[in-house]
Amino acid sequence: MNDALDVALRLLVVFVVFLTFPLIVGQTEHKVMAHMQGRLGPMYAGGFHGWAQLVADGVKFAQKEDIVPAGADRRIFQLAPAVALLPYLLVLLAIPIGPGEGAVGQVVDAGIFFVLAVMGVGVLGSLMAGWASANKFSLLGGLRTAAQLLAYELPMLLTAASVAMAAGTVSLPGIVAAFEWWWVPWQLVGAVVFFVAGLAELQRPPFDMPVADSEIIFGAYTEYTGLRFALFLLAEYAGIVVLCGLTTVLFLGGWHGPWGADGLGWVWTLLKAALLAFVVIWLRVTYPRLREDQLQKLSWTLLIPLSLAQIALTGIVKVVIS
Amino acid sequence: MSLAAATAAAARATTTAAESHGFLSPTGVEIAFLLVGLVTFGAAIVTVTTKQLVHAALWLVMALGGLAVEYLLLTAEFIAWVQVLIYVGSVVVLLLFGLMLTKAPIGRSPDADSGNRWVALTVAVAAAAALVWVVVDAFRTTWVDLKGPAAGSTEVTGASLFQNWVLPFEALSVLLLAALVGAIVLSRKAKADATTPADAATPAGAQSRRSEKEGTR
Amino acid sequence: MAEPLPPTRSRIPGSGLAKGLAVTLRTMTKKTVTAQYPDAQPELPPRSRGVIGLFEENCTVCMLCARECPDWCIYIDSHKETVPPAAPGGRERSRNVLDRFAIDFSLCMYCGICIEVCPFDALFWSPEFEYAETDIHELTHERDKLREWMWTVPAPPALDPGAEEPKELVAARKTADKLAAEAATAAEAAELAARTAEQAAQPEPPAGGTTTTTGSTTDTTTGSTTDTPTDTPESSKPSDPQDGAS
Repeated sequence: MNDALDVALRLLVVFVVFLTFPLIVGQTEHKVMAHMQGRLGPMYAGGFHGWAQLVADGVKFAQKEDIVPAGADRRIFQLAPAVALLPYLLVLLAIPIGPGEGAVGQVVDAGIFFVLAVMGVGVLGSLMAGWASANKFSLLGGLRTAAQLLAYELPMLLTAASVAMAAGTVSLPGIVAAFEWWWVPWQLVGAVVFFVAGLAELQRPPFDMPVADSEIIFGAYTEYTGLRFALFLLAEYAGIVVLCGLTTVLFLGGWHGPWGADGLGWVWTLLKAALLAFVVIWLRVTYPRLREDQLQKLSWTLLIPLSLAQIALTGIVKVVIS
Repeated sequence: MSLAAATAAAARATTTAAESHGFLSPTGVEIAFLLVGLVTFGAAIVTVTTKQLVHAALWLVMALGGLAVEYLLLTAEFIAWVQVLIYVGSVVVLLLFGLMLTKAPIGRSPDADSGNRWVALTVAVAAAAALVWVVVDAFRTTWVDLKGPAAGSTEVTGASLFQNWVLPFEALSVLLLAALVGAIVLSRKAKADATTPADAATPAGAQSRRSEKEGTR
Repeated sequence: MAEPLPPTRSRIPGSGLAKGLAVTLRTMTKKTVTAQYPDAQPELPPRSRGVIGLFEENCTVCMLCARECPDWCIYIDSHKETVPPAAPGGRERSRNVLDRFAIDFSLCMYCGICIEVCPFDALFWSPEFEYAETDIHELTHERDKLREWMWTVPAPPALDPGAEEPKELVAARKTADKLAAEAATAAEAAELAARTAEQAAQPEPPAGGTTTTTGSTTDTTTGSTTDTPTDTPESSKPSDPQDGAS
């Protein structure tokens, strides 16, 4: 009985995190982006600096009519948002925010593989949406999504493998436990490659070619409206949370920090993840969208060689110090 | 391929159930294994029988995911996640990518039926039978201990892969490398063909050139 | 991807990317430029073209504004009245009386030509702009409403330092000066006549009368206004005695 309660509690906590953190990131994006562009951003909803803007947006989405285009493949069209969103919920289960069993939803033995595999499944949602919408812009968006995923999955995997080599384990808590401060310079290239590839996998600007709104309206999500559209948006922001949490855990040492080793480690994890989320927003504001060929070129000619070099470096250092 | 894999899974499911010590009082894991096996099998059947091409690809996701769950139930966690990562995350995405490039319609494809249906069925059944027979024969007395330390954890899998199965592993990698190089060579030749249309002005010349290339290949 | 500027090539790779990040970060720390309009009224520049006010007391129904209006959004109705002669035995005069003056702001394109052409300063720009309506007919502002807008017309901003004096001021001063000079000479003449009448044998006091008079009399006598038109009366005052002496 106690076990069941424990599991239920963990699931509940993860679910709450899943529902709130993306909104926090979204609101931060509203505000940070506005100020980086010399604006104020939302100021009305909720009274104080528009803190409830995304709640208001959610209410608005819920009120909208749920439309399925006449020519669409109905069931796949309706299923796609769930396929896009659920993997991130699963991934959140496996990300540890503090030392010990208590600070992770579920300890997964092959944590890295679990996380990357499930994140890859999320892209299926976009593909389904792109194909089932019966819309040429959606189809183009789906094609671009697939091409982008194929290009950026590999560097992500390779850099994750580099960290796993360094730590000698593929479990996420194990990696953080083995972390030393000098891993940061050692795995720096890998961290950057992982982060960039993750951004591309989330289709965040400057890698948002699949949803390039000035060319193909909104890519695979063109035909969506109401709650299903909101689910896709939530998936994107949940993806940011997951990516930042993963990068923190893999490359920035998770709960390790100068102070707070006793019980306050989770603050460090959250702080680092928040900083990374800020960087995600910062990059979005700063850089223009990459063209499709530039996007492919960046991955195949820069990120993959860099990640291979990182693996080689990791191997050499590992052999030298052991 | 998918059918074979699915039937293999189903076959394994039946084997384990049959081999189970508590066949008449099966544990929860065994029941789950059997049910997931049935779902996987069904998904695989639909994959090859549906007339909607993209649906076939998505049912394939279901079948492959079901297989991953079966691996999980057999405590082979690493293999399970790799299955999801490679097959669901990459192979199916590639498949869908290819399908989107074609004129696959929404709804039924009128020409999605093959005349070789019976031949294919025969081959599939034969392959399934062979696999079932081999698996039953090989693992007749093997018992996966679900209670003890995980038999399929990353550490165990890695150790057995690089201690007992190094040679097949390396042979496989050489095979993949050869495939990779071959793909590059083929794509480069196609490009050369496309960029020299002036040479292929006359059909006869083009044909002779092509036959030359076939010869060099 | 080629950088058009040669110096950027020689720098370390990625410096351009870093510069972009620096720009956005710097902007974030600066004050925003958002105008929170409904909460805070905008600071409109003088001569903002918000709405047109009618100073109907000045209007003579010359119809110039209605004729010049490019999109015909000014409606004027009037009738003639005869005014009895000012002096007995004089001729009756006729006068235009304004019956209706309306501007349709749904047509108006805020070009301001009507205000420019009005010869009697009956039309003015007002910076008020919050007169949106839910019914388009309400946008036709009739005479009373246009008159109401006049209260919102701000005083004209001060001239730039060193700018030419407004023509109307110059003209007004000229008339005033002329009148004053006439009065002064008349008074002088009268005084002179009186003096000569009283004491014909006595000599005149030298320039005694001119020192007490204002600068305007010296202006008219010496004609110095044509030489220094921009001089203010204060600056010209000290030179008056010399002018008068010479």
